[in-house]
Amino acid sequence: MEHPVNYIYNKIAELNPMHGKKLKKNIAFFDDRYYKLADAFFEKYTGILQAQNKSLDYAIDCYLKMIADVNAETIEFLRSGKYSSTTFEEVNQRVYARPETMEYYMHGLIMSQFLWKHHYQIVDFFISNLPAYKAETKSYLEIGAGHGYYLSKALEILNDKASFTVVDISETSIALAKDFVKNNRVEFNLQNIYDYNSDKKFDFITLGEVLEHVENPLQLLVKVNDILSEDGVLFLTTPTNAPAIDHIYLFESADFIRDMIHVAGFKIEKEVDLLTEDVSPERAAKLKIATLYGAFVKKDKAAYL
Amino acid sequence: MDRNEILNTVNNVFIDVLDDDNLVLTEATTANDVEEWDSLNHIQLVVAIERQFKIRFASQDILSWQNVGEMVDSIAAKLNQ
Repeated sequence: MEHPVNYIYNKIAELNPMHGKKLKKNIAFFDDRYYKLADAFFEKYTGILQAQNKSLDYAIDCYLKMIADVNAETIEFLRSGKYSSTTFEEVNQRVYARPETMEYYMHGLIMSQFLWKHHYQIVDFFISNLPAYKAETKSYLEIGAGHGYYLSKALEILNDKASFTVVDISETSIALAKDFVKNNRVEFNLQNIYDYNSDKKFDFITLGEVLEHVENPLQLLVKVNDILSEDGVLFLTTPTNAPAIDHIYLFESADFIRDMIHVAGFKIEKEVDLLTEDVSPERAAKLKIATLYGAFVKKDKAAYL
Repeated sequence: MDRNEILNTVNNVFIDVLDDDNLVLTEATTANDVEEWDSLNHIQLVVAIERQFKIRFASQDILSWQNVGEMVDSIAAKLNQ
C-alpha cells in the first residue's frame, strides 16, 4: 500500500512545485520508524476528515494556504527583522476570531506534523524521552494541546492510572484534540492558562509551541513553574526566527530561550535545537533560518536558596 | 545599469544565498534548473535582491516570475521608476 505521505508529497509537488521541491529533500532522511508513525497518524487524521465529509486533498489545500501565509510573513520578517504582529489582540483579530482562517490554519498545522522534518524530529525527541518519566508522572497537563498528537502519545506512554488535563484557549483546538485522542480519561478546560486555578500540582507539563504565541513568555513560564510539582518535569518547545500569522514573540536564538528558562527558575535536563533547513548553523544564523528548540526541564532548586 | 549588469549582480546574489560558487544564470534559467532554488530559498533570494538593488518588490511580482529574465525585468522596471 502507498504511504499516505507519499501521495501528499506528490500532490503538493503538482500544485506547488517549488514547495514540493523543498519537501522532497526530507524524503531521504525518513526511515521505517518515520513511516510507521506517519502512516498511523494519517490513518487517524483521514478518519477525522472523513467524519467531517472532507478529504485529504482538502487538507493539502489548507496546508498550501498556510504555506502562502508563512512565505508572506517570512518576506516581511527578513525585510524588517520583526514579526508582523506583536500583541495578542492583533492575532486574535487576524486569526483566532476568524473561523475560516482558523479552519485552514489548523489543518495546515496538522499536516506539517509529518511533512516538516523538524516537527517529526521534535515529536520523536518527546516520544523517545517520555518513558524515562513514566514512574514519577501521576498527573499530566498539556497547555495548548493543538491537534492532540502529543497528548495521544502521552496517553500511550504514561501510566494507566495517571490523570490527564488539557488547558487550551481555542475551542477549535479542543474539538480537534478530543477527536484525535478519543479518550474519556482526559479533562479538557477551555480556558486561558493565566486564569486556570488549580490546587493540584502536575508531575509533567507539556508546553509545545506556545511561548511564541504570547506577549510575555517569561510570565507564562513562571506560572508553569508554580503549577509544576517539586520534582516535576516540563517539556517545552518553541521556535526561533519563525514568522507566522499568529507568532508574536520573537526568540532570536536558542541562547535567548535558555536564558529565559533559567530566569523562570528551571534547569535544563535535555535539549535539542533543530534546524528547519539542511544548512550549517552558521548559514542558518546568517540567513535567519528558523530553528525549533525543545527541552525537558526541571525546577532549579538552587535558584531558591 | 543595463540588463547584463543586473543579471551579473543577481547571479552573485544567487551564489551567496544558495552557497554555490559554480552557479551560472542565464535569463532562461528557471527554478527547475537550480537544485537549491526551492520555496524557502526563493524568499531568501527575493529579500537579498531587494537589499542589493535597494528596491522593494510587490507580492504579485514575487509569485509571477517564470524565469530569471522576468526577475531581471522586474528589477529593471523598479530601477527606472
